[in-house]
Amino acid sequence: MPKVAIDNLKPGMKTAKPVVNNNGMVLLGENTDLTAELIDRIRNMDVDGVYIQGTARPSKSKDEFLSEIEDRFRNVENDPRMEVIKRSIQIHIEGLYG
Amino acid sequence: MGNIDVRLVREKIENIQALPTIPKVLNKLLGVIENPKVSLNEISSFISGDPALTTKVLRMVNSPVYGFPGRISSVNQAVILLGLTVVKGLLLGVSVFDLMQKTMIGLWEHSIGTAIFSRIIAVKKGHKEPDEVSVNGLLHDIGKVFLVLQFPEEYEKALAETEKDFVVIFDAERNHFNTSHASVGSWMAKKWRFPANLIDVIEYHHKPHLTKNTPVESSIVHMADILVRTRGYGFPGDSLVMNVQPEAWELLNLTEKDLVEIFREAEDSLQMTEDLTL
Repeated sequence: MPKVAIDNLKPGMKTAKPVVNNNGMVLLGENTDLTAELIDRIRNMDVDGVYIQGTARPSKSKDEFLSEIEDRFRNVENDPRMEVIKRSIQIHIEGLYG
Repeated sequence: MGNIDVRLVREKIENIQALPTIPKVLNKLLGVIENPKVSLNEISSFISGDPALTTKVLRMVNSPVYGFPGRISSVNQAVILLGLTVVKGLLLGVSVFDLMQKTMIGLWEHSIGTAIFSRIIAVKKGHKEPDEVSVNGLLHDIGKVFLVLQFPEEYEKALAETEKDFVVIFDAERNHFNTSHASVGSWMAKKWRFPANLIDVIEYHHKPHLTKNTPVESSIVHMADILVRTRGYGFPGDSLVMNVQPEAWELLNLTEKDLVEIFREAEDSLQMTEDLTL
């Protein structure tokens, strides 16, 4: 469930949590389909981001993500500490797409 | 393989202020920062006197890099909340933003990402000044900017070497310059009288076991650098992860569960700052 800055919201996205301003006032409910008009309306309302349904990075598949990690770790295999870090990012990425 | 004498490197780096590419605001700012007696009020009026700088500072303090997203509306408020040391570092960060963008694509994102991870680790470890550690993360790679500015062609070769031989940029720099961005950054940080801890972290973020003054902060930024590389956010000069220093690993003592939580927490902030331009 990614949190998206107001400027990156696009019509068609759907809220995953209620949208509140910094005073805690609810501006939009959960499961609201965002339209251009709604995005404009909350743009100036002191909101620091909107939780959106769906995966974080539709532009990159989970498999791409995981195979890039294999490449990045090519020099540090067999270091038990690095194995812990690698397992952690793998769990994190599974969670992003899960 | 280049073999530039390290004394020549140092001489050229220390004359970097004479380069026409160094923005005027940075030189003006250094005048303010170099004065050890500068007050919060003076810093505040210096920022407020420059509308472009004011906008950049407000954008930055309201980003997830700091602990008050979207809640700071004036320079005065920012300076009071963050304190002198953090504001000095933050000003340096926003002033080198343009330089970073021009010299190395992705270095700004890497720096912001390192700041975010540094802050999260600092909070998790109960550090008293997480925002200071965040600024250390933001500026840890500033030496790369100086190297690219003074030695663009040679640095290009170092970058090519990282791709060809799968070495990290730190090692490629040493092959080409007989020194590294960590040393280069610390020379300038000293010359420009950056805050003492910041100088130290810049110098030791690859060797946190060698510092006497900032073992915790240098270890945090070292770890943050590795985690942001692991996550694949921004570009620090190569696409590899380097080994964590065993002493730093012991000192921070993060479990797999801690690390997964850190990645989760950073994820929102990284996405929020994806388009943070100043």
